[in-house]
Amino acid sequence: MSNILAIAHKELKAYFASPIAYIVIGFSSILFGWFFVNLLYYFNRLSLQAGAGMGGPEAVSVNDMLIGPLFLNVTVILLFTLPLVTMRIYSEEKRSGTIELLLTSPLTDVQIVLGKFLGAFVLYATMLAVTLVHMGFLFAFGNPEWRPVATSYLGMLLMGGCFLSLGLFVSSLTKNQIVAGMVTFAIFLMFWVINWIATFTGPTMQAVLNYLSITEHLNDFTKGVIDTKHLVYYVSFIVFSLFLTVRSVDSERWRG
Amino acid sequence: MIEVQHLTKRYGPFTAVDDVSFKVEPGEILGFLGPNGAGKTTTMRVLTGYMPPTGGKAIVAGFDVFEQPIEAKRRIGYLPETPPLYPDMTVRDYLTFVAKIKGVPRADRKARLDSVMERTRISDMATRHCGKLSKGYRQRVGLAQAILHNPDVLVLDEPTAGLDPKQIIQTRELIKELAGSHTIILSTHILPEVSQTCQRVVIINKGKVVAVDTPDNLTARIRGSETMYVQVDASGADAQGALSQVPGVRQIAVTETRGSVTGFEIDSEPGRDVRRELASAIVTRGWGLLELRPMRMSLEDVFLQLTTQDAAEPEVAHE
Ligand SMILES: Nc1ncnc2c1ncn2[C@@H]1O[C@H](COP(=O)(O)OP(=O)(O)O)[C@@H](O)[C@H]1O
Ligand SMILES: [Mg+2]
Repeated sequence: MSNILAIAHKELKAYFASPIAYIVIGFSSILFGWFFVNLLYYFNRLSLQAGAGMGGPEAVSVNDMLIGPLFLNVTVILLFTLPLVTMRIYSEEKRSGTIELLLTSPLTDVQIVLGKFLGAFVLYATMLAVTLVHMGFLFAFGNPEWRPVATSYLGMLLMGGCFLSLGLFVSSLTKNQIVAGMVTFAIFLMFWVINWIATFTGPTMQAVLNYLSITEHLNDFTKGVIDTKHLVYYVSFIVFSLFLTVRSVDSERWRG
Repeated sequence: MIEVQHLTKRYGPFTAVDDVSFKVEPGEILGFLGPNGAGKTTTMRVLTGYMPPTGGKAIVAGFDVFEQPIEAKRRIGYLPETPPLYPDMTVRDYLTFVAKIKGVPRADRKARLDSVMERTRISDMATRHCGKLSKGYRQRVGLAQAILHNPDVLVLDEPTAGLDPKQIIQTRELIKELAGSHTIILSTHILPEVSQTCQRVVIINKGKVVAVDTPDNLTARIRGSETMYVQVDASGADAQGALSQVPGVRQIAVTETRGSVTGFEIDSEPGRDVRRELASAIVTRGWGLLELRPMRMSLEDVFLQLTTQDAAEPEVAHE
């Protein structure tokens, strides 16, 4: 465990020693703010219409009309920022030769992979924590239910974990950061849009595609529901990607 | 302390290390000598558990590197060909990280760090970023990293490559100092390097062990005969006749003629220095002595000589 923490700590330091951490956190909080303000404006209009009895919905819920759509929009941010976080994880170690230090130290491959994942995850959690400021405004000036907000954040953590573990795996396959970043982005995009074609296919295919879609599983979380089905999906996605990463690091050793 | 048995490593169809076996006794400094591409780095990477061998095995401090990698790695300090530094970390942060992953207990960490930095003379660089260090300091931080957890065995891949002469001497001193408490294997492609530091030498070429011996014995064997280059201001035939009369000269060959100047390569009997006799033979005849120097054997010549020798006496190759 202390080995995992040592590596996670080193990874975090590396993020904050380079511009990556600041770009990722800055970029995501600006975009989050933009989505937030837009949805807030839209929500205000709806509320006014409802209040004036102009045929809008009777009572407009902050949660349904603001928080839910907000988090679904925010997944776009992850699509762009998380490849930046993961692309250097392994590529950089291979390029600078520090991989020789890690692989000849008394560490297991699993410890190395978990440490690296944990480091990226803590950076991501920090990025999410910054957005809590926006939520603070909602709670200060409105009266949203706290539960859907909390489950949304849980869902976001899990979904981000999927993206990060996948990105980590891609990074373990190449020495080239740019390639790692592009491929990661392409795969994220695929998982993101996979259910768009679901409506045009048969019911079985539709179910499968929806199941595969990373974002589809976030819906219930934004409504305040923690369904084990989704938990299982996210957790097994992460575990499987990390397992693939360990395998890839191991086979790399054999090739030399 | 280190035992390598029939180690073979292939990269795809290419065999980089071919059935290499050797032993290193506790406290010994073993030199691993070979030209570029001989397979030194590959052998060391297998030895340190960085990559598994295709065949054979490596036992370090009693642990098979591939059966019990964690136990073996706890006892190995490794300085790769390029020091494995994180450019964005300060020297102290870097060494702290290394201490953690090498399992130095938290309570000992600070004292250990300070003493190792002192020993490798990097204390005044503690707060400098690794990426901003000079080549000499990078190498020293690499060495500090390798000895941090006080390993039984040190594996150093070309520890003096790319250093200036002063740094080379300092590094050699440090390695000799470390020898008492550690077993050391170091690689180099420079012949004199091993005679300076090592007690025993394994010579490797094209993935195969060519010879295992002490540096003194090896130098003696390599100097099967000594060759001088002599340049004289005299006609070729006269000079050749006169010089072949000098006692101790075995063979003489004209290698160059330019006007009245003639160049010779002169082989003498083993262990016999004929330079004085050659010089006086030339000078007493009133010729001009333009050049007289022993011809250095290149490492390639050494391998050529050893490989042809060992074909005749194969028992030498395996001690
Ligand atoms: N990862 C690799 N893949 C393929 N060939 C390699 C690899 N590493 C080294 N080689 C080849 O193996 C041979 C031995 O290399 P190396 O062990 O680095 O030699 P040395 O350290 O003695 O210079 C060289 O011919 C080199 O090109
Ligand atoms: Mg090498």
